[in-house]
Amino acid sequence: MATGEGHKAPPYMMVFGVLAVLTVLEVLFAFTGLPKIWLALGLIAMALWKAVLVALYYMHLRFEPTRLWVMALVPVPLAIILVAVMIKEIFTTGSGF
Amino acid sequence: MTPTTADRAPMAGMKVYNLKLGMWVFLLSEVMFFTGLIGAYIILRFAHPEAFAEPGVVLNVPLTAFNTFVLICSSVTMVKAFAAIEQGDQQGLQKWLLATILLGAFFVGVQIVEYTILTGEGFVPMAESYHAIARGAAEGSAVIGGPLYGATFYTMTGFHGTHVSIGVLCLCFTLWRARKGAYTAGSLGGVEIMGLYWHFVDLVWILLFTIVYLI
Amino acid sequence: MGKALDAGGHHDHHEIPWIRQYIFATDHKMIAKQFMFVSLFFLVVGGALAGMMRWQLGFPSQPMPGGMILPDAMMAPTPNGAIMLPEFYNSLVTMHGTIMIFFAIMPLLVGLFGNLLIPLQIGAEDMAFPRLNMVSFWLAVPAGILMLASFGVEGGAAGAGWTSYAPLSTSGEWTGVYLGQQLWLASLTILGFSSLVGSVNYISTVINMRAPGMTWFRMPLATWSLFVTAVLILLAIPILAGALIMLLFDQTIGTGFFRPEVGGEPLLWQHLFWFFGHPEVYILILPAMGITSEVLANRARKPIFGYHSMVLAIVGIGFLGWIVWGHHMFQSGMNPLLGTSFMISTMAIAVPSAIKVFNWLATLWKADIHLDVPMLHALAFVSMFIIGGLSGIFMANTPVDIYIHDTYFIVAHIHYVLFGGSLFAIFAGITFWFPKMFGRMMNEPLGKVHFVLTLIFYNLVFFPMHNLGLRGMMRRIYDFTQYEFLAPLQPMNQFITVFAFLLIATQVLFVINFFWSIFKGEKASENPWDSNTLEWTVPSPPPHGNFAEMPMVYRGPYEYSSPESDTDFLPQTTPPGGGSSGVPEPTPTPEGVEA
Repeated sequence: MATGEGHKAPPYMMVFGVLAVLTVLEVLFAFTGLPKIWLALGLIAMALWKAVLVALYYMHLRFEPTRLWVMALVPVPLAIILVAVMIKEIFTTGSGF
Repeated sequence: MTPTTADRAPMAGMKVYNLKLGMWVFLLSEVMFFTGLIGAYIILRFAHPEAFAEPGVVLNVPLTAFNTFVLICSSVTMVKAFAAIEQGDQQGLQKWLLATILLGAFFVGVQIVEYTILTGEGFVPMAESYHAIARGAAEGSAVIGGPLYGATFYTMTGFHGTHVSIGVLCLCFTLWRARKGAYTAGSLGGVEIMGLYWHFVDLVWILLFTIVYLI
Repeated sequence: MGKALDAGGHHDHHEIPWIRQYIFATDHKMIAKQFMFVSLFFLVVGGALAGMMRWQLGFPSQPMPGGMILPDAMMAPTPNGAIMLPEFYNSLVTMHGTIMIFFAIMPLLVGLFGNLLIPLQIGAEDMAFPRLNMVSFWLAVPAGILMLASFGVEGGAAGAGWTSYAPLSTSGEWTGVYLGQQLWLASLTILGFSSLVGSVNYISTVINMRAPGMTWFRMPLATWSLFVTAVLILLAIPILAGALIMLLFDQTIGTGFFRPEVGGEPLLWQHLFWFFGHPEVYILILPAMGITSEVLANRARKPIFGYHSMVLAIVGIGFLGWIVWGHHMFQSGMNPLLGTSFMISTMAIAVPSAIKVFNWLATLWKADIHLDVPMLHALAFVSMFIIGGLSGIFMANTPVDIYIHDTYFIVAHIHYVLFGGSLFAIFAGITFWFPKMFGRMMNEPLGKVHFVLTLIFYNLVFFPMHNLGLRGMMRRIYDFTQYEFLAPLQPMNQFITVFAFLLIATQVLFVINFFWSIFKGEKASENPWDSNTLEWTVPSPPPHGNFAEMPMVYRGPYEYSSPESDTDFLPQTTPPGGGSSGVPEPTPTPEGVEA
């Protein structure tokens, strides 16, 4: 049952270090004054990086059976479809729907 | 209750025990819940860019960055608690669980302080009484953003804060059970699913912090 | 019937206190029955609301019989009797839809059949989380009470339609309903949480608790459809919950998510609602399809035609259901390109649905059909679903939809799939599994009379509504005679109303049959339908813990009239070569490892 038995202890502290550094980098990056689009893309990339780290190491997805993390990905396409369609509508009808 | 012969085990559909599978399934629905809230924010922001302020103008980024750090720390202590019970270390389990509870409660406390300051500055969810001004600006300055800003901000962070608070209560229950010796190296499902929930809440905050405070 | 529950001769269990056995029960079969009684009650309530609406439409602004007993907030008293108020009509429309969808059909299909069938059909002793299952039921009850209580508050029950479109629903200024609308929102949020808890349970149970040998492609189609339904609930309900909570905030503390006057977006509500709402449509029909598949194969004594394609069709519908929600919004001024994509994806759903219909018909082809009550209802399901499905294709076409949007054509369509579809399947399912629930059969002749009358009256009520819609009668209208072009439709409306009352009266037969059979029905054997699936290998009703010994599964669920066996059925637990005339095969162990 214990996930820790089959492998050596995951690098919890190293992940913590990366998360902390990324948080500082994010805050600094947010105030660099780059064009909004680059700011947004960079910040989202860093946030996703952090989120994936948490899921892989702290939630142990990296050490779980493949079928579990496949299941964990199920809502992702649905979330993308919902937001993408609504954004598409805004951009074609100008400001507002 | 029902006698089952030892050689007749159910099919291991997911190869993890029921409790963990159930928690993962529940977290999938939580993903959709926050998708709804964050999606609404994104849409409203795209549709009405003028109703939202640049980062740091209304919201206090340094304070919340510190709070983010606190929550990440609490994730580490939670995972330490799990690692401790994996080794059968009861003392370690209780110590790290207590640390997680304190950090989680501290996070909620900071959020309450933040809310108090922001509402004092006129940044409120109610559309009709919204009159937020830039932090540090004198009373009577121009109103920053619009009513949607307050509504989306408080709904998203408030629901996250509710999740943290529920998590703290569940952690207290887990600690209580741990003190009674309910968990061992061979039976740590309760700690593990508590950890899954807690890390998920942390994960959501990582995204919320970026989307709400920094972009 | 207290001790009858233990008829299985199950000696080694401890006496469970009465309150844990019947009220706060954790046994999945008892929870299934609890859901059944509560949702049948709501079915009656919903039917009564429909009856009042039909009175107003058949006899516009004439005194309603018995209307004097209703309070003045609902009816305007006159010397000749009480006349319905328009505000009350709005509440009736809203609450009829809400109660039927969320408190009658959904808990009947998911709460009743999900709880009853999933553990029994996969060979589990109970759900994965029995106590969570109890929580699920006891969250649904307060939600129902809140919903009913809203009739009694000032301003009456919610009146913005079951879809509660913003901005109509954002403020009582438009509908005259303040607290009622908020109760509606709170009730649905609680009910959503109940469904969510239930679906976590169903999904975990199906994935992790199948008996050895019960591979994915040996699962009965009812369990398959309930599993996919649970996935849809799990992922769709949270979106609704988020939207409901935002609308509740708009109503109570004055946020502006959906209020255009402060910059909010009413269409955001429509997107979120229908992103939930369209999977919800399949939540309401997939279990019905599964039940029908079970009954058809069993009563036709033939293997279901194309089992794998049936499973793939269920999964396909489950996925496509997520990318079609925009077809509810063709009239919202949507980007035409998006409208076209939604039109195409909607039509694509007709493919898996048609595969299912084709397979049902092929199952019936040259079969030994037993026309008993469950089979009759299942056949009615197939035929009514074809009609409802075809009118669905009409509306998927943007140009046609623009013409018939929000008319009685839509009302006819939804009732052909929800009443003609889901409710007939529910009747089929209740009659079919009644012996498993109560250990007695339902009365056959009475059941047949109920079926024939229901089918006739049902079609006489709902088929003419297509015509009303095409002639321009809009739905949710209090008094259509105020329009000159609609006034000639009054005779047809009166016709519908008369048969609607007969349809409601016919349901009394079912209620009588139901209660009479619980106490006085003919005692049922373990397997009265000669069925293959696992629930028929245990006593009727099954004891606590279901299976005396964990069953081993060796074959698929639909091996009827197999040459391997002398009888015309071959239970899933029969080992290869176990049929008395069968050829012994060399592999007697179930393939239990790979799922």
